[in-house]
Amino acid sequence: MSNSKPNIAVIYFPGNNCEEESLKAVLASGMDGRIVRWNERKGIEKYDGFVIPGGWAYEDRIRAGVIAAKDPVFKIIKAEAENGKPVLGICNGAQALVECGMIPGLKNNVEMALAPNKNPFISGYYCAWVYVKSNEEKGRCAFTKLTGKNEVIPIPIAHGEGRFVTKDNELLDKMIKNRQIIFRYSAKDGKIEESFPTNPNGVVYNIAAICSKKGNVMAMMPHPERASFIRQLPDIELKNKFVGNQQAMEDPAPARHIFYSMKKYIEEEIL
Amino acid sequence: MGGVDADLIDINGMPDKALQEFLRKNAISLSIFEARRVAELIGRNPTITELYIFNTQWSEHSSYKSSRAVLKALLPTQAPNVILGPVEDSGIVELGYIGNERYGIVVSHESHNHPSQVVPYEGAATGVGGIIRDVLCMGAKVIAIADPLRFGNPNGKNKNKVKYIANEVINGIAGYGNAVGIPNICGDIYFNDSFDENCLVNVVCLGIVKEKDIIHSYAPKNAEGYDIIIVGKATDNSGFGGAAFASLILDEKDREINRGAVQVPDPFLKNVIIRASYAVFEEARKKGVTLGFKDMGAGGIICSTSELCSDSGFGADIDLGKVSVSMQDLPPYIIACSETQERFTWICPSEFTKTLLKIYNEDFELPQISLGAGAFAVGKVTKSQDYILRHNGKAVCNVPISVVTQGIKYERQKKAPKRNFKEPNLKEPKDYSKVLLSVLRHPNAASKAKAYKHYDTSVMGNAVIETGYADAGVIRAVDGSAFGIALKTDCNPRYCRIDPYWGAVNAVAESMRNVAAVGATPSAITDCLNYGNPEKPEAFYDFYEGVRGIADAAKNLHQKGTTYPVPVISGNVSFYNESASGNSVDPSPVIACIGILKNYSKAITMKIKKENSTLFLIGERKDELGGSVYYDVNNEIGAVVPIIDFEKERNMIYAVIDAINAGLLLSCHDISDGGLATTISEMILGGDADGTIGTEIDLGFTDLRADKALFSETSGFVFEAEDKNIEKLKTLFRFYKINLMELGKTTGNKITITRKNKKIIDLQISELKEAWTRGFAEAVE
Repeated sequence: MSNSKPNIAVIYFPGNNCEEESLKAVLASGMDGRIVRWNERKGIEKYDGFVIPGGWAYEDRIRAGVIAAKDPVFKIIKAEAENGKPVLGICNGAQALVECGMIPGLKNNVEMALAPNKNPFISGYYCAWVYVKSNEEKGRCAFTKLTGKNEVIPIPIAHGEGRFVTKDNELLDKMIKNRQIIFRYSAKDGKIEESFPTNPNGVVYNIAAICSKKGNVMAMMPHPERASFIRQLPDIELKNKFVGNQQAMEDPAPARHIFYSMKKYIEEEIL
Repeated sequence: MGGVDADLIDINGMPDKALQEFLRKNAISLSIFEARRVAELIGRNPTITELYIFNTQWSEHSSYKSSRAVLKALLPTQAPNVILGPVEDSGIVELGYIGNERYGIVVSHESHNHPSQVVPYEGAATGVGGIIRDVLCMGAKVIAIADPLRFGNPNGKNKNKVKYIANEVINGIAGYGNAVGIPNICGDIYFNDSFDENCLVNVVCLGIVKEKDIIHSYAPKNAEGYDIIIVGKATDNSGFGGAAFASLILDEKDREINRGAVQVPDPFLKNVIIRASYAVFEEARKKGVTLGFKDMGAGGIICSTSELCSDSGFGADIDLGKVSVSMQDLPPYIIACSETQERFTWICPSEFTKTLLKIYNEDFELPQISLGAGAFAVGKVTKSQDYILRHNGKAVCNVPISVVTQGIKYERQKKAPKRNFKEPNLKEPKDYSKVLLSVLRHPNAASKAKAYKHYDTSVMGNAVIETGYADAGVIRAVDGSAFGIALKTDCNPRYCRIDPYWGAVNAVAESMRNVAAVGATPSAITDCLNYGNPEKPEAFYDFYEGVRGIADAAKNLHQKGTTYPVPVISGNVSFYNESASGNSVDPSPVIACIGILKNYSKAITMKIKKENSTLFLIGERKDELGGSVYYDVNNEIGAVVPIIDFEKERNMIYAVIDAINAGLLLSCHDISDGGLATTISEMILGGDADGTIGTEIDLGFTDLRADKALFSETSGFVFEAEDKNIEKLKTLFRFYKINLMELGKTTGNKITITRKNKKIIDLQISELKEAWTRGFAEAVE
């Protein structure tokens, strides 16, 4: 395997809808990959890493991510994660990682949930561009090997239930102590403000992404796959300076580093 | 005439009164004349199933019985860039060639007004669901949706209901589109009291397909013996009579009855069906199999199956007992006509049937995902041109298929209604800053972020300009190619109230300006024609005038570089948009314009980009404020709406496109609701209302009184250019014979507007922001 590119399975559970752009971000980052249906789990352990994309897996019946977390495919992914393979859950995928106990993964059960947004402007589903700030040193997890502490990344959110909640404050303290809070919502200049619109969903501690203790699993509510090319960015200077330059528009935007890091991690730790 | 084994309804033997009573009791909206015509056409009394079939097929919604002749006579639907005109479920316009492959943009545009008034969440959601099916069934990849909405007066006597409907409709669109995973890239929203009892919910959907991969909504050649396969949700009684319902006037008293005619959305199942259908497309292409594929929408099984077979000269023999149902003991006419959502019909050669069924039923496990869902062969395409439905071994329908699909036509009378509009005599305002804030705060001018931020605008990862940042939404068309597609919908209902012809012309022109303002070239339009009762000559006159206006605008605002029209490639007619008290909604010919960018990276937004650049205006300001936001904040409507000078309009549009594609503009915004002052304010704010660069404007370019100059909605553009490009701009606009007027500079953190050395507007950006971002929220909260 050592000569080949990292090979990623992007899982499609019925109801997911971000599998294609997630795969495109994976491929653009120099990895191989394929969309794997939930019922194609045979042999899935051969993949070097996994992306659980956004959407409404199993219609979010009961609660976002619950049914997907109970799908047999997750048993295999969990076992592979225990072997150190990277798993990135985005949006609905993040919800599923929390619901199957992989995040924060301190006990072998469900310790957190994702609650409905608290947003003074719009109740329910909210889609907007925000900024997240890297909260830990470079390389703390499999997805930040190229992102230094305090780097600010433009990225969109698109969810109705994105507010990480813990049973008690102790768990939050523990995650902070364990350096598991990887990204926090911030202003463009990196300032952490707890109020809307900097914090778009009212989440405690401005949490946007949490990794497992070992750092090879990350649950992230914003969508890095929709912020991986310059052309995908909104009406901001980072994009506007390239208007008219199609080649530059196809160049990586800051959130692509999450996928590049996944590649680097696999090359260093898995292959 | 074909034999049937079911009881016949003695239409011929019933006197008029008894027949009317029979029709009413059975919720059949055919007229007595039409019911008798059925018996005449099929040469005998019909079965109840047959009668329901004609009830559906002859509804205005399915048959276009009042509108067809007018549309055919007036609308330009052909041009060299049209791959498929408005004859199947969607139209297709050329995107361009990528390598040797010609690509098409598939477009469909529909209304779901009546269902949304009765059950707004479900009505709007199923509207989105239906339009996605129309595009998918052309073999296309679905890439975008858009939704023009019209609601009642949020401050009027029905305000609570208006707000309720507005919020539920927005949630319904979000609930469906977001879950399926199609980005919502633009839309427009207007409020006024003509929509109090009849909101308008239009939906537009785009897809992309290689020309050689188009799947048609008719059976292929030599299809005799092919399987007829129904795929999707198990059939129930929901939406029974939906097409007929869409053609009725809403009466609050019938609310409970009407609720049953609204379909039930299931975006989750659709999400999976879409992906499974893509897998079928791929497999069929690989094997070189030609299929027929059609949405099952209005009219359910009978409409979908009969049109697929009839259009290629075949008949159909269908066993309704093989249709998967989720309710027991459904009578055959409900199975045949119910409008259960998330269903399609395939016409499939039997050697491919196994593969197709496997993809839906095993690879994507539809039966496990939704009870009774799946793909099921229910009948055969026949050489004999009869349309036969069987149930429990008995033929319940057996009629010539062409009789089912040929429809019925009416020639409606038209008569110009009295329009007593007068221009108001307004005093010049003393405090222009206050006026500007009240215009920005008007819900028709204010930011619609509170609506569209409910929608997923970035899913699929191809958005270049998301909703709100510019006059049109822009997406990248195809991976690895530079093509971009721009889309915008338009129609100002108050213009159409004053003048149905110029209102329609303005809708077309504005949609084209919006697309041009991002740098895209208008290449086709679609129309969704929302009007009152066509049996009333005044309403039919408005409809006729609207179609005439669209046709004139489409023919005269040529495709850039040619004298071809910008063709009308798809559309829909929605009549009977009136309240129980007989008041028609404002005539609403809602237009969607599809624009193409050869290089999406050239697209620009409306937000001011740099300090010390120059703002220019094109399009002289005129005293034509009829229907304007300014008049509305003064509780007036006026009489003189903007008039479009076609030659000048197209030259403005072409010049702006050229300027943007030459990289000469930093930002650009068309002038519409709220006039020039609103346009400049929005350029300062930007889509997210986070702009920081102000402007200093001088009204020296016009002799009009300042309120008319600032708030007239006469067509035009404002754009921003750097000094180094001004000479080039001047040359370009001279070439197009367009007068380039300098407005002022981008500078500071305020908007100031000066008239003869006197500052008449002086506002902080934060004040603009407060008014512009709160106005719509106040309307719906």
